[in-house]
Amino acid sequence: MKYLLLLFGDESSWADMTEEEAGAELAAYERYGEEATKAGVFVAGEGLQPTSTATTMRIAGGERILSDGPFAETKEQLGGFYVLDCKDLDDALAWAERCPASGSGSIEIRPVMDYEAVGYGESGDAGDVSR
Amino acid sequence: MRFLLTIYDDERRWASVAEEDAKAEIDAYGALDNEATAAGVFVDSAGLYPTEAARTLRIRDGEQRVTDGPFAETKEQLGGYYLLECGSIEEALGWAAKVPAAATGSVEVRQVMDYEAAGFPNLAAEAARSA
Repeated sequence: MKYLLLLFGDESSWADMTEEEAGAELAAYERYGEEATKAGVFVAGEGLQPTSTATTMRIAGGERILSDGPFAETKEQLGGFYVLDCKDLDDALAWAERCPASGSGSIEIRPVMDYEAVGYGESGDAGDVSR
Repeated sequence: MRFLLTIYDDERRWASVAEEDAKAEIDAYGALDNEATAAGVFVDSAGLYPTEAARTLRIRDGEQRVTDGPFAETKEQLGGYYLLECGSIEEALGWAAKVPAAATGSVEVRQVMDYEAAGFPNLAAEAARSA
């Protein structure tokens, strides 16, 4: 059986962290990923860019209704997800539009964190992941 | 760039969907998966069991607190996910407890939908029972 673990936290806490603390937290995730892989349970996992990069889409009357920010409609529930490798946000939005749920519910689109691009590569340099 | 598309919909809708319509909707997802795969953008995807099967875990003062139902703390944001292959919800909660975010935020655990095991096309009837 597959289980999805959704990680929730106060993203503003990254802004108050020292580079050392942020590096230690990312190292803890790396160890967790290694342990889960070794145990044979790991299927996939990603960190996400902050909610300031989120776009939420729904289709009504054949038209896209886009809002900046994460999903915020409490009468709907998380029912599934896709991870897609797209060239930019427009491409990702085009794929979101094709998803059946865009016509009945909402789809939140969030870029996955690229830790190397933000300076958390092998060098261990802590970049600014808070924004 | 990788993008996470999270799908939100009213899960009670399935209770009033005819088997034929439910099958057409599942088929539409199958078609989208095929299209995204053919376009080379597909990385991963899953549907989820209804939120009544969700558990949310947090660790405070070294103590695990598990609540029934999905994440409901509005001061925290979705920051990442893991998809794990586990034998039971208990095993999945065991892995959730090891996630660093469990000690600072919350980890929601959701079982991924197994459409065959769920006896699809009897999915609508099952959703009706669980609604």
